[in-house]
Amino acid sequence: MNAKTETAIVTVPEIAVVDEIKDEIDEVKTFYFRFVDEAAGRNFRIRSGQFIMCTVFGAGEFAVSLPFSPENDRLHLSVRSVGKVTRALHDLKPGDKIGIRGPFGNGFPFEEIKGKNIIYVAGGIGLIPLRSSIVHVLQHRDEFGRILLLYGARTSKDLMYTYMIDKWLKTDGFETHIAIDNPEPGWTKHVGFVNTLVERAGIPVKDTVAFVCGPPVMFNAVIRDLLKRGLKDAHIISTLERHMKCGIGKCQHCAIGRTLVCTDGPVYTYKQIKTLGEQI
Amino acid sequence: MNILEKKKVPEFMAALAADYDLYGPIVHPDSKDVLFDRAADPGDIALQAPIPYNPAKIPFFPQRESILGYTYDRSTGDVRIAPADLVRPKALVGIRSCDLTGLLCLDRFFLGQEFVDDVFRDHRRKTFIVANTCVRPFPQCFCVCTDSGPSAREGFDINLTEAGDVYLVEAGSEKGEALVRKLELPAADEAQTALKDKIVDGSIALFDEVSRENKAWISRATNRLTTGFIRNEVWEYIGKQCFECGACAFTCPSCSCFNIEDLNGPDGTTDRCRTWDSCSFEGYTKMAGDHNPRRPVEDRRNKRFFCKLSYSQSRKYLRPGCVGCGRCVRVCPGDIGLPTVVTAIRREITE
Repeated sequence: MNAKTETAIVTVPEIAVVDEIKDEIDEVKTFYFRFVDEAAGRNFRIRSGQFIMCTVFGAGEFAVSLPFSPENDRLHLSVRSVGKVTRALHDLKPGDKIGIRGPFGNGFPFEEIKGKNIIYVAGGIGLIPLRSSIVHVLQHRDEFGRILLLYGARTSKDLMYTYMIDKWLKTDGFETHIAIDNPEPGWTKHVGFVNTLVERAGIPVKDTVAFVCGPPVMFNAVIRDLLKRGLKDAHIISTLERHMKCGIGKCQHCAIGRTLVCTDGPVYTYKQIKTLGEQI
Repeated sequence: MNILEKKKVPEFMAALAADYDLYGPIVHPDSKDVLFDRAADPGDIALQAPIPYNPAKIPFFPQRESILGYTYDRSTGDVRIAPADLVRPKALVGIRSCDLTGLLCLDRFFLGQEFVDDVFRDHRRKTFIVANTCVRPFPQCFCVCTDSGPSAREGFDINLTEAGDVYLVEAGSEKGEALVRKLELPAADEAQTALKDKIVDGSIALFDEVSRENKAWISRATNRLTTGFIRNEVWEYIGKQCFECGACAFTCPSCSCFNIEDLNGPDGTTDRCRTWDSCSFEGYTKMAGDHNPRRPVEDRRNKRFFCKLSYSQSRKYLRPGCVGCGRCVRVCPGDIGLPTVVTAIRREITE
């Protein structure tokens, strides 16, 4: 999982205009953008699972995974306001400009998993990086077997992209199981941590690949339950998050074990993660 | 090989100073401390001074450097981005083989991986290097253990070796040969040429005597780190000794970790600066939202020595990340310079 990124904008950000901002859930907004230079826009080709470095002018740069699919999808970022730079991003208005470097990283290994069933397991805003993959897979529906989304969040208000999930459900053979951590008035779906959906949903095991993304606690619980169900560790795929500064394998902030999340990842199999020798 | 008479050294320095900013070991007039720095006067460079306190990476990878500048006027939407272009040609004069090896490590890392670091490349393109054979080791040195000294074998434009009243001059590049021709340096005779090996052998022989405390036989430690299992107690011991001052990384010729920050100036411009960073700092891996996957101090120490002794082999430098300069030994207030750690790992093997 280490292909060269030929279109990456390495050091100097390319300027983009934020043309629409949408409130998603508490603290999370989606920023639709387009490149000022049309040629740069045409050259900006991503692989699902990659990330970019986004500059908020005057505040700094942050790494963010790309939620849009490589094909036919509007360029956008869904970002939680959690630090100095992302707070500054949340203060932007339509028409404001941002800088984009990238795309960086390896991306999801779609070629290797053709014909397999896919289970997406997401916790909270962990659905953001998986969105790109889901949209891509649904666009190539014939190439895959069953497609399941197991999605959980703390409360019903913390569920991302619910309006999209409704749309995805109209695609043939797309199943969704949704859970929230604690009971809420009016909630008719499952209550419990997202890993409990693994047992409940009766997931396929043979020829199945799982994409897992969410906070570390959820990640560990889900992995444990997927392995218990019989999934192979090489068939569990995740995208890891680390503090990044350069995005090109130089600053070393994202080093885990012998690897760097920015150039060797962010997509790793659980088989690889096990050998890294660090907390997730 | 050619000959540079010692009395002609000022002429040699002046020829370099005509084309380059000169950097080299400079003895502070009051404290007598030796620092690697820009020479205001070519005569300030002290070729035979002890090894400088700071590493020779400074001209290429300064402690703080602007890598990009921009202005953004939100009201008009006007953005102007300018890559930093402040690189002046520079000559490093009198760097020892350990420091030169550190620089070659950085070359490999910044220029030879998947992505090239543009800023570092610009620095390196405009560089002239005059290496200086170490004719006697200093108490903290262990370059013979790390295959990086006492005399440079590659990466220099000119290599000097002190031999009595003269320097033996080897040119290592076309630029170096051009300078030798320009100064019309006489060719060395057979006896002088043979002297070089004797001087290097003499320096290695002295090592055994001078640097008794710092031998770091790292190949066994590397092997153990890469293939074996080091007990947690070893890392805990090392972690407890660490003051998290970062001095080891900041004085290391091959440490390259950096941070990037956008700093706003009063005139509405922003500088994107990179500054040295160290994996021993607790905040190094801290993410937004305060999640820190690498919190315990022994875990961070573990990473630094894995990086130096094991990970460097696999991809970064294709050699140990340590060049045996001994600066980490000199600056560490907790006595966990690299030789101590190597000894701790080797002791574990024998137990």
